[in-house]
Amino acid sequence: MNASRDLPRLVAAIGIGVFALLPMAKLPAFYDSFLYLVFFWISLSTSWALLSGFAGYFSLGHAAFFGIGMYTTAVMTTKFGVPFLPTLPVAAAIPALLAAGIGAIVFRLRRLRGELFALLTLSVTFVIATIVLNTPIDGGGGIFMSAVPLPSIMPTPTGTLYALGFMLCVATLAIAWTVVHSRFGLGLFAIHDDEDVAEAKGVPTFRYKLGAFALSAGIAGVVGGVHAMYVGFLTVAGTFELTVPLYVVLMSVIGGSRSWFGPAIGAAFITTLLYAFNSGGEAMVGRAIVGLILIVSILWLPDGVVPAVRKWWAKRRAVAPSRPIAEVAPVVPPARPVGDRVVLQVRGASKRFGGLQALAGVDLDVREGEILGLVGPNGSGKTTLINVISGFYSLSGGSITVDGAEIGHVAAHDIARRGVARTYQIPRPFVNMTVLENVSLAATFGGPPRSAAEIRREALHWIGFTGLAGKEDVLPAGLNLHERKFLELARALAARPKLLLLDEVLSGLNPAEVDNAIRLVRAIRAQGATIVFVEHLMRAVVELSDRIAVLNEGRLFALGAPREVMRDPRVVSIYLGKAYAA
Amino acid sequence: MVERKGAVRRRGVLAGFAGAGAMLGTPAILRAAPSGKPVRVGATLSLTGFLAQTAIVHKIASEMMVEEINGRNGLLGRPIEYVLLDDQSKPEAARSLYEKLITVDKVDLIQGPYATAPILAAMGVAQRYGKVMIQSSMGIPKLQTYDRAFPATPFGPEPNVTYPNVILDAIATFPTPPKNMVVLTSKFPSAQFMAQGMKEQAERRGVKVAMYLEYESGNRDFGAIAARVKEANPDLLWVGSLGLESNLLLEALRKLDYTPKNHFHLYPAPGPLALSPDGDKALCSTFIEPDEPFLSRPGFKHLAEEFKVRATKANLPYSTIDAQGCGMISEWQILEAAVNGAGSLEDEKIAAWLKKNRVTTVYGSMRFDGPYNHGDAAQFIKQVQNKEWKVVWPKDVSAPGVKLIGA
Amino acid sequence: MPSVTLLGQALISGVLAGGLYGLLAMGLSLSWGLLRLVNLSHFALAFLAAYIVYELGTTYHVAPWWSAAMVVPLMFAIGAAQHWLFDRFKVNELGSLLMTFSFAVILEVAIQLYWTADFRRYETPYSTLSLRAGPFFIPVLDLTLCIVAALLACGTWVWLRRTYVGKALRAAAEDPDIAAAYGVDHKRLAYLLSGIGAGYAGIAGTFIALIATLAPAEIWTYLGIVFAVVIIGRLGNPLGALLAGMLIGASESLAQAVLSPAWSPVVSFSVLIVILLWDPEWL
Repeated sequence: MNASRDLPRLVAAIGIGVFALLPMAKLPAFYDSFLYLVFFWISLSTSWALLSGFAGYFSLGHAAFFGIGMYTTAVMTTKFGVPFLPTLPVAAAIPALLAAGIGAIVFRLRRLRGELFALLTLSVTFVIATIVLNTPIDGGGGIFMSAVPLPSIMPTPTGTLYALGFMLCVATLAIAWTVVHSRFGLGLFAIHDDEDVAEAKGVPTFRYKLGAFALSAGIAGVVGGVHAMYVGFLTVAGTFELTVPLYVVLMSVIGGSRSWFGPAIGAAFITTLLYAFNSGGEAMVGRAIVGLILIVSILWLPDGVVPAVRKWWAKRRAVAPSRPIAEVAPVVPPARPVGDRVVLQVRGASKRFGGLQALAGVDLDVREGEILGLVGPNGSGKTTLINVISGFYSLSGGSITVDGAEIGHVAAHDIARRGVARTYQIPRPFVNMTVLENVSLAATFGGPPRSAAEIRREALHWIGFTGLAGKEDVLPAGLNLHERKFLELARALAARPKLLLLDEVLSGLNPAEVDNAIRLVRAIRAQGATIVFVEHLMRAVVELSDRIAVLNEGRLFALGAPREVMRDPRVVSIYLGKAYAA
Repeated sequence: MVERKGAVRRRGVLAGFAGAGAMLGTPAILRAAPSGKPVRVGATLSLTGFLAQTAIVHKIASEMMVEEINGRNGLLGRPIEYVLLDDQSKPEAARSLYEKLITVDKVDLIQGPYATAPILAAMGVAQRYGKVMIQSSMGIPKLQTYDRAFPATPFGPEPNVTYPNVILDAIATFPTPPKNMVVLTSKFPSAQFMAQGMKEQAERRGVKVAMYLEYESGNRDFGAIAARVKEANPDLLWVGSLGLESNLLLEALRKLDYTPKNHFHLYPAPGPLALSPDGDKALCSTFIEPDEPFLSRPGFKHLAEEFKVRATKANLPYSTIDAQGCGMISEWQILEAAVNGAGSLEDEKIAAWLKKNRVTTVYGSMRFDGPYNHGDAAQFIKQVQNKEWKVVWPKDVSAPGVKLIGA
Repeated sequence: MPSVTLLGQALISGVLAGGLYGLLAMGLSLSWGLLRLVNLSHFALAFLAAYIVYELGTTYHVAPWWSAAMVVPLMFAIGAAQHWLFDRFKVNELGSLLMTFSFAVILEVAIQLYWTADFRRYETPYSTLSLRAGPFFIPVLDLTLCIVAALLACGTWVWLRRTYVGKALRAAAEDPDIAAAYGVDHKRLAYLLSGIGAGYAGIAGTFIALIATLAPAEIWTYLGIVFAVVIIGRLGNPLGALLAGMLIGASESLAQAVLSPAWSPVVSFSVLIVILLWDPEWL
C-alpha cells in the first residue's frame, strides 16, 4: 500500500461519505445552509479557475454565466411550469453555448488577451444583465421562487439544496482534478505561461481555450440554477452584481489559482470568514476584520495557500539523489550524405503586414538531412520566414509544403504535429514548469500518443542529450542563458521533429558555449533531422551549413555552398555596402 | 357569529386603547418591570451593503421599541432579548441567517428584515418553521403569500391601484388640474410596481401619460432623462424614485433651467429632498409624519422625540422620524399586542389572534384579515413647504391650516 | 424621433458625465499600467476624499477648493504609504487586487462608522449653475470637472512623454532591470506615481462630493464602468482614459435620450464590445 497515494484517497472517500450523509443527521438547518454556501462558492471559484487560473484568461464575466443559469431555472419553473430538476441541464447548456460562441469569436483574435479579455467578459455581463432586466425574462419585478416545489432528496428542503450543492461541488472538484491530470490541463497551463509557444509545440490552443471556457460557464450555470431555489427571490441587481466575479477571483488567488484544490480552500476560508462576523453589534467592525485578515493572508502567502504548502512539503521531504540518467554525450558521427528527398519546399512565399512587405516571394528547397544556414541583413525577413513556416503567421501568398503537405494556412499546432519544431532567439520556456515538465509537454503534444512513462523517458533522454542532466526539477528562472537555450533545443527535440528551425540559437553565448552548441547541432542532424537555422555568427554558419541561403529585402538573394556564397561580392555588398565589395 | 366577532373586535380595540392609556396614564413606578427568562426575538437587517442606507433607521427604531416594551410589560411579563444579525443586503444571507436564528439560536419569535428581497427570502424560512413574520417594507403585497406573514405598514392589498387614485384625487383639486403626466421610474421592484399602477390608473381616469420611462436603479447621470422631461413639459412629473434619485433628477432639470410644474416622488430619502433647493413643493408618498393629527395618536409624540434623540446620537444626518422608522415601530407594536393579546408565544396562536383582532399602532387601528393579510390602505401625500414635510392629502389627515399647493 | 436639441443636450450631458469616469479612471490606469498594480481601493479613496470635503464643507463651511487643497496631499500620502506595503512584501499583480480590495472594504467600514450608511448630499450654490450656448445648457460644475480632468490628463501625458521622470517611469514599467542599469530609481518613482494616482482620486472625490450622492455602498457602483474605461483607454494612458470615459458617458447618455433609459448599458457596452473586436487605428 503506497501511503502517499492511498492515504489521501482514503481520507477523501471518508470525507465525501460524511458530507454526503450529513443532512440525515438532522442538524439544525443553518448548518446545512452554511455548508451549502461553502459548496456553492467552491464550485463557482473552481469553475472560474478552469479558464482563468489554469489558462490565464482572466474572466470578469462569471456572473453572466451564473446569472443565466439562475434565470433559466427561474423562468422555466415559474413561467413554464417545468419541474425543477430537468431545468438544471438546460441551465448548464445555455451558458456553455454562450461561452462557446463568445470564445469562437474572441479566441481567434490574438490581441484580445489579458485585460481586454477581462473587459470583454465584464461587458458581456452588463449587456446580459440589462437584457434580462428589460425583457419579460425579469422585467424589473424580480422572480419569486418560493412556490416552486423542490424534490425531496433529503428530509428537509434545506437538506435537499445541501445535497444538490454538495453533488455539484464534488463533481466540479472531480472535473478540476481530471483536467489538471490530463493532457487538456497540461495544455491549459502551457497556454497560461506562453500561448504562442504552446501553440508552436502542438497544443491546440483554440480548441482547449474554448473547451475550458464552455466547461467553466456550464458549471457556473448549473450552480446558478440550484442557487435560484436557494435565494427564493431573484433580482437582476442581486444576481449580476460584481460580487460574484470579484469573490471568485479573491478565493482563487488566496487558495492558489493553478491548482485544482486551491480555489476550494480559498472559497471555504472566505465564506467562513464572512459568516464569522455577522452579529448585529459587530457587523461593520467584522467586515473590517475580514479585510484585515485577507490582507495578512496575501502578504504572508503571495502565491496562495496551495503553492506555499507545496513548497513547505518539498522542503520537508528528504532531497532524493539525482536519478541516474541515460546521458548521451554529443558524439560527432561522420557527416552523412544529404538525402535527395525534399523535406521543405517554399514557393513564392510572401507575407505582408499592412504596408510592409516582409517576404516578397521566396523560393527554397531544403533536402532531407541537410543543415541550411539562413542569413541576411537585419530586416531581410529571416525570422518572418521561420514564423511563416512554423505557422505563427499565415502566408499572404505562395505556398509552403512539408513532406508534400501544404502548410501555408494551417494552424501552428497542426504544423507542429506534422514534425516541424522551432526554437526562439530569446528563450521562451514555460516559466511555471520545471525543465522536465517543459520538455515532457513538447513530447506529449508534438509526438505520437504515448504513455506517461514513455514520455518521461523521452524527455529525460533529451535533457541528457542537451547537457541539462541534473536540472530536471529546476524552474527556468534558475537557469542561465546557455542552459535556457539548450532547454529550447531539448524542447524542440522532444517532439522528434523532421524539420527543426533554429532562430539565432548561438546569440549571447561565449566561444566555448558556441562550440558546444555546434557539436550539439551536428549531433541532432545525425539523429535524422533536417535543420534550417538563422544565424549571425558567420564562422558558425560556415562551419555548420551544408548550404547557405541569403535573404535580402524579403527575397532569396543567393543560395549555395558556404564558402562560395560568403565570397560572393553581391552578398558582401548587402552586408557592408557596395563600396566595400568592389 | 357576527356579534361574537364584533365583540372580539371591540375587545381588541378596547385592549389597544387600554394598553395605550395604561402607558400614558400609569406612572412608571406602578408599572411592573418585566422579569424572568427573556423572550428572544431574532431578526436580520441590512447593516452593511447597499440597503444599509435605510436599514439604519430600522435598527434605531427597533432598539428604541425594544426598550420601550421592556419599560412596560415586556412580552407576557418577560423582557425582550433582541438578537440582531447583519444580512449584508443579500437575500441569500438573510435566508441562512434566519435559519440560524430559528434552528441554532432557537429564538422564540422573529421580526422581518428590511426591503423586498431579504423579506421574501426570510419569508420562505419563516414558512418552513411556521413562524409569524411581521414586516414593514415590502411594497408589493401580492408577493406576501405566506399565511403567517403580516404587514406593519398600511399599504393595503393593492397599493398599485389604491394609491394612484389617491394621487389622482389630490391633483384633481389643483387650480389647473393636470391633463397629462410623465411617469419616470427606477426599475427597483416596488417602485416599478407602483409606476405601472400609476400609468394604468391615470389613463383610466383620463390623464394622458405622455411619456413612461424606466431607468436602472443606481443610475447616476440624469442629464438625458432631464432633457426628455423638459421637452415633454408635463403638467405632473411622477417619479418612482428611491434614495437620492429625486435630488439628482431635480438638479439635472434645474441645470437645464427647468422646474416641473408639479412633481411627485415615490420613496425618496425624505431629509435630503426637503432640504434641497429644488425640493420646494415636491409631493411625496407617506404613511405618517411627526405632525398633527398624527402626533395626537397615543404614544407617537413621545416616540418621535425619542427617535430624534437616538438618531442624532447615532450621527444620522436627518434625525426626524419618517415612514421607514414608523414601519418598524408599528412592527413591534403589533408583535407586543399580538403576543400579549394571544397570551402565548406560539406562532399559531399569535397568527390566529392577529387575524381576528385589530391593533392600534402609530398608523391607527390596523386589521389583518384582508387579502394577503393586508388591511385598509392608509397611504397619504406629503409636500415640502418651507423645507419641511407637511401631510397635505387627504384633507382629514392634514394639520390644521396646511393646504395642498398645486400649480 | 427625438429632436436635435434633445440629442445635443444629451450628448453634452454625457460627455461631461464621462469626465468623471475619466478622472476616476486616470489614477487607476496609471498605477495599473506603470506599476502593474490593480488598485481597487482607488474608488474608496476617492469617496474618502469626498466625505472629507463634505464634512469640511458642511460642518466647518470650508469652500471646496480649499478642502481639495487639503485633501489631495493627504491622499498622496496614503497612496505612497500603500505602495510601501506593496513594495515591502513584493506583492504581484493578482495579489494587489486582493489587497486593495481589502483596503477598500476597510475604508468603506471606516467611512460608515463615522458618517453612517445614510445618504448625504453636499448642497452648494454651484450645483445647478449652467452656462447657456444657444439652445443648450452646460452645467458649470460638470464643465469644471472636465476642464480639470483634461488639464490633468494632458499634463500627465506630457509629463510621461517629455520629462525625464516620466520617461524613466515608462522605461521602468517595461523593463525594470534594464532601466535600473540606466540609473532609473524605480522605487522612488513608484512611490511618486502611487501618490499621484491617489492624488487624482482626491481630486475626483472632491467633484464626487459636489456632484453625486454620498453613501458608503456607492463606492462599488463605479467599479465596473471605470474598469471598462481604464482598459479601453489603454493602461497607463491618461489621455486615453479621459477620452474613453467621455466616449462611454456620451454613448450612455445618447442611448438614454433615444431609448428607454434602462437599456443604456446594453448600448454602451455593446459599443465597447464592437470596438474591442474591430480595434480601429484611432483608438
